[in-house]
Amino acid sequence: MNPVPMLANYLVVGAILFALGAVGFLARRNLIIMFLSAEMMLQGVALNLVAFARARANLQGQAFTLFIITVAACEAGIALALILMLYRSRRSLDVSLWQDLREAGQEPTVDEEPLPLEPVSAPLPRLSPAGLEPQQQEETSHV
Amino acid sequence: MFDAIPYLWLIPAFPLAASVLTAFLGPRLLRKHSHWPCIVGAVLSCILAFGVLVAIGRQGTEIREYYTWFQAGDVYVGFTLRADALTAIMLVTVTFISSLIAIYSVGYMHAEEGYARFFAEIALFLFSMTGLVLAENLLLLYAFWEGVGLCSYLLIGFWFTKPSAAEAARKAFLVTRLGDIGFLIGILVIWSQFHLNGQPLYALDYKTVFDAVGQAGFEGPITAACLLLFCGAVGKSAQFPLHVWLPDAMEGPTPVSALIHAATMVTAGVYMVARCTPLFERAPDAQLVVGCIGGFTALLAALIALTQNDLKRVLAYSTISQLGYMFLALGSATRPELDRANPLVTMAVVAAIFHLFTHAFFKALLFLAAGSVMHAMGNIIDMRRFGGLRYALPWTRWTFLSGAAALAGFPLLSGFWSKDEILSAVAFAGEEGHPYRAAYVVLLIVGLVTAGLTAFYTFRAYFLTFSGELRTPPEAGHHVHESPPVMVVPLVILAIGALVIGIIVEPFTHWFSGFLALTPYFTPIHEHEFNWLLMVGSSIIALGGIGLAWFLYVFQPGVVTRLASAVPGLYQLSLNKFYLDELYSFFLVQPVLGLAAFGRAFDLYVVDGLVDLLGQVPRFLGLMFRPIQNGLAQFYALAMALGLAVFLIALVWRYGW
Repeated sequence: MNPVPMLANYLVVGAILFALGAVGFLARRNLIIMFLSAEMMLQGVALNLVAFARARANLQGQAFTLFIITVAACEAGIALALILMLYRSRRSLDVSLWQDLREAGQEPTVDEEPLPLEPVSAPLPRLSPAGLEPQQQEETSHV
Repeated sequence: MFDAIPYLWLIPAFPLAASVLTAFLGPRLLRKHSHWPCIVGAVLSCILAFGVLVAIGRQGTEIREYYTWFQAGDVYVGFTLRADALTAIMLVTVTFISSLIAIYSVGYMHAEEGYARFFAEIALFLFSMTGLVLAENLLLLYAFWEGVGLCSYLLIGFWFTKPSAAEAARKAFLVTRLGDIGFLIGILVIWSQFHLNGQPLYALDYKTVFDAVGQAGFEGPITAACLLLFCGAVGKSAQFPLHVWLPDAMEGPTPVSALIHAATMVTAGVYMVARCTPLFERAPDAQLVVGCIGGFTALLAALIALTQNDLKRVLAYSTISQLGYMFLALGSATRPELDRANPLVTMAVVAAIFHLFTHAFFKALLFLAAGSVMHAMGNIIDMRRFGGLRYALPWTRWTFLSGAAALAGFPLLSGFWSKDEILSAVAFAGEEGHPYRAAYVVLLIVGLVTAGLTAFYTFRAYFLTFSGELRTPPEAGHHVHESPPVMVVPLVILAIGALVIGIIVEPFTHWFSGFLALTPYFTPIHEHEFNWLLMVGSSIIALGGIGLAWFLYVFQPGVVTRLASAVPGLYQLSLNKFYLDELYSFFLVQPVLGLAAFGRAFDLYVVDGLVDLLGQVPRFLGLMFRPIQNGLAQFYALAMALGLAVFLIALVWRYGW
């Protein structure tokens, strides 16, 4: 079987993945979605590499792909931690809220359609120290 | 007996070592003892100088070569020292007076801030001056000449935090520099334009130049060279029109004034012209200029000194006037016929150097005594503010009186003999057969008039300060006290010198002129005749001046004010120094300042403007691209993606699929 048409198929799928990722990264404003889009671009590239490796019958592409997966895993850890910190500071995942690195004296870009603010969830219940009977709230105690 | 000639180099080396030592150790280690290196150095130099004097009398001229400064082809300039009679006399004068002044300064400067700096600079001054006198070629002379100028700048501006002192120092430096430029050009003219038998001279040592000038195949612009050299002397020795720096130099400490006026700085010009006599005597035109400038300066300065109220300023103008006398004498040293030795030359130079020698004594004395007055009066030197100090400051009074009498040319004192020699030299030049006979007769009259004026203003200063009722300024405090012995002893030594040194060395023994005639190129004088007519005449004039001063300031004090108001124009003219400072300011200083202001404006607005404009270009470009940096991560990503797309499209465009 001629590997070349097969290769083209893989490449097309890879390109579609990459393009979808790129569009998602540019168009979406939710930080997590943007991160996922970036991951998708990575996967597109990884698919390309694997396909080439297969077509050329060597392992270089696969070795590369292994690296990409490893890097993507590390990146996911760091990126999610960062996103969490960002969320904590602004209570939002909107990427356009972080414009602080713009040139000094430059007006901030004002969003015409801001994302709706997420409802502030109830604070987490405070746990009593071990060995003490937890205080029960009145509504719950009389159910 | 001890032979000082092998140790010739030590004469400038001692003060230099003292200066370096004081400069490095003074402020930290020596502190209140900073004067010791300077005094020891000066005294050792002085002892060696006396040794040189004795040795020269025995064996004649010595030239010692120590070090090659630079050499290229036939051009050779070495660090060479020369000891001959003229040098020996100068060395003794300079080191002796400087030693006394250094000792005096211990008392005068005792509570000053920069005590160590003062003595380091004094020693450096002495080094420069001894080096100047000992130098064997014109370039070395010029180097030390500039050294003297630098030291005078440092010392006049000793109290550099005082604006007037800083300005006076700058003025002294710049005005003397003006003359020095002429001096340098003169040296270069000698170097490049003097030819002997069609060959350029190339060497600048005195022997080569003077030998060449006297020989038959010599050609060169000798008058121009002499006039240019004289420019340097005019600046350094404060002659008209460059005399304006010397009165302002009073801003320095009084011992510095004494040093500048008596021993080191202003005598340099006289020495240089005397040293170059073999050159000058061939240029009667140049000598006429020298004599006329000397005579004119003598008269002008004496007229200004008549009305000054500042004691030190009177003395400063008298220095200018006396230096004018010296140049008057030097200017009459001409020898128009090459082959005939003319005793006039030696006579005139001896007169000038003799006057320099005696003047050093009494002018140093007068300044130090004025310093002593200033010390007692709480740094007040205006003669209108004090008077009648004769009982309060007895030592100062008697020493000042002897100095004043010597300066005034009181018969038989040292100033009398030297002034007389100058006048007889000028009279000799005015005799039949001299090409510029008439001019010298006029100069003789100028000299005589100046002698009378000198006697008058000197004793005016004396009477204003010491006679009448005791008046002291409030700055002096309650108790006016005589200066400490460390100041009085040098005064007494100098006073003895001022009184008797003249009569000892010259008029009867003729030791001075005989010794000075040992200098190469000088011819010995065989006939010594007293010019009785001149002597009696100048005595009468001097006594008349003194008597007039006594009449106007002691006997009938009211007459002076009436006299001054009778001729207000003349009085104001003299009081304001003939408005020379104002004239210079208007015609020279203001235009230069205007030019400087224009240059500054041009630099600030045109040159800097262009540079700033260029600097604005990247700034403007940055302004254009600044909105791109809006801080939105996705915008950057888009820019990247678009950039990549453009790049890829360009690639495809260029190479096809």
